[in-house]
Amino acid sequence: MTDVSINHFTFHYPESDVKVLNDINITFKSHHFSLLSGPSGSGKSTLLYFIAGLYPHFSGNDAVGEIKFGDTNIKDIPREKVSQSVAMMFQNPNQQFAMDTVVHEMTFVLENLRIAPDKMDDIITHALEFCGIKRLRSRVINTLSGGEKQRVALACIVAMDPQVIVLDEPFASIDPDSREDLINKLKILQEKHGKTIILADHDLTSYRNLVDEFYYLDPDTHHINLLDDEQAEHFFKNFESTQTINKKVEVPSGDDNSILKINDFKLEPHHSLLLKLNHLDFYKQKTTLITGANGIGKSTLFNALTKLLPYEGTIVFDGKDIKKIRPLPYAKNVTLLFQDAENQFLNITVKEELDLSLANRTNTDYTQADVDDMLNKLDMAGRDDRIVYSLSEGQKKKLQIIEMLIMNPPVLLMDEPFKGLDYHSLEVVVGFLNRAKKDFHQTQIIISHQLSGLDTLIDYHATFKNQNLAYQEVIK
Amino acid sequence: MNPGMKLLLVMLIALEISFTQSLIVNCILIAVSFVYILTQHIRMKALLGIIFWPLFPAVGLFVSQWLYGSAGIHFAWILFTRIYAYVFLGATFTLTSSITDLSLTLEQDFHLPSKFAYGVLAAFNLMPKIVEEVQIIKTSALMRGEALHFWSPKLYFKSILSAIQWSQNLAEAMTSHGFVEDYERTHYKIIRITALDWTLFFVLLIIVQVLLFFIRY
Repeated sequence: MTDVSINHFTFHYPESDVKVLNDINITFKSHHFSLLSGPSGSGKSTLLYFIAGLYPHFSGNDAVGEIKFGDTNIKDIPREKVSQSVAMMFQNPNQQFAMDTVVHEMTFVLENLRIAPDKMDDIITHALEFCGIKRLRSRVINTLSGGEKQRVALACIVAMDPQVIVLDEPFASIDPDSREDLINKLKILQEKHGKTIILADHDLTSYRNLVDEFYYLDPDTHHINLLDDEQAEHFFKNFESTQTINKKVEVPSGDDNSILKINDFKLEPHHSLLLKLNHLDFYKQKTTLITGANGIGKSTLFNALTKLLPYEGTIVFDGKDIKKIRPLPYAKNVTLLFQDAENQFLNITVKEELDLSLANRTNTDYTQADVDDMLNKLDMAGRDDRIVYSLSEGQKKKLQIIEMLIMNPPVLLMDEPFKGLDYHSLEVVVGFLNRAKKDFHQTQIIISHQLSGLDTLIDYHATFKNQNLAYQEVIK
Repeated sequence: MNPGMKLLLVMLIALEISFTQSLIVNCILIAVSFVYILTQHIRMKALLGIIFWPLFPAVGLFVSQWLYGSAGIHFAWILFTRIYAYVFLGATFTLTSSITDLSLTLEQDFHLPSKFAYGVLAAFNLMPKIVEEVQIIKTSALMRGEALHFWSPKLYFKSILSAIQWSQNLAEAMTSHGFVEDYERTHYKIIRITALDWTLFFVLLIIVQVLLFFIRY
């Protein structure tokens, strides 16, 4: 029996006084499936990295307190033995493999564990079989989809056969089928093979009848609490309510007011079909919400619309095929608010970032007073000299939104623009977006899982499902 | 031939022809490399590529030496063939050896730290992602009204920032996959330097020495 117990555990990042984890005292029970939830950026990953033995080695500074596997302090386990106790699956499917092919990666893993070479083939075959991906054995990892990569990551863990498996938002970018499949496999590992599963996720979809324990990391106190059934139910309900709004919207038709037209369109990265459209229009001065499951291709569609990815068919902007519009003018007309705010930054400090937008914008609809007002309302004023990369995730998002509003492009695509924002900031941002639409005639297309609070903004709603994108009357 | 030995041999010969001036030896090296490449079932496109692209620097060197140099047309031809000798020698390695085998032999036979061997391999496997990332950086800059070119410092700043982030993630992932620096590992595929490798290495090297010694034109 190896419970994972955390005792008086406190951690803060260097150069910051905020305790990300404040005197944590919890025990993840052996052979149980534990869910650790809490808002993005609240410190869930940090705790998992410590449990997986990656911190303090990779974090720069250590924490106070101790983590024990059974009776053994993790620090007393020799480094080469840690992987027999615990293995980790990461959020980003792209950055967890060192080798080129699936079989090479799994061999690499077994070599590290000093497994005898003649046993490796059997272990690899068995692990691939368990994960249902025998056909991927010789495939090059770079050519796999996100869902397939995460299955390979799980196969590596199965081959390693550790006692404890920790997973850091492993389903954030994979399709619903892969997600369900992986969750089932984890359940089998827990129930049939006696593994201890610790999974962090802020998205609570489909965990309700699955997990044994629900832990919540409170973003204000930085404590972690074990919730009883009633409290857990409250969180599940609360989460579901953020994913729905009761609003009926019009289904648009005709092409009188269309600004982006998609025709005979096919999106097929890595040879797997994501989207096939005969015809779809996006409309001028309207806010269109796109919803759909993770990993289904929503962001990929934005990549096609911004010419980041090749596609089949035509996309017409304002009467002209976008392939015939030069990159700079097109990018200034159809602009993407990236999901990862750091992608948008080009400079070092907050002031430099704002100045860049003020210098390069195509129109001067926003006055300096408007900009100051936006900064004030989002509590971003007076941070001129802060280095953008040192801002919190929420602050980065706010700065990113303000600087892209200043650019004031005719069409603004937004990929999960409310991720990491608290509810008040979300309402403020919705106000800004409404103004941009009414006063400056902006067309907005939004991908968002967060729906509550958006009632006043959304004009049209399109659902991404079964390789198709279609307008709907009802939102969810 | 063992990829590590092959790389060493190619580099030694390339170094040598940089300091010697023999048109005929250059041509022999090109011819031998070419025949070797042809026997290795290379894609036509790659083959045409290594013939076509070096033409620009080779012709450039040839013309400038021929018209403006003091050493005459013979030396111009030497420069011309030297470029092709470099490219074809390099191609005998890059077009026919697997980077995975190279890092295996570097780790097992040349006793390079495994951290280095696998780090290089991991970075190599990240190449397609790096290309994508540069594209994202450029597009994102366009959306802020700035066109970044390959000489723009901002492009490098952003790329380096991503690279640091990735190398951190990769190091964490490798550790999580049981990799421990400087700790003993088993090897599924054993790559040894065989007697044949040694023989080939020295025979080829000696042949080149002999050629260079006797053929001075």
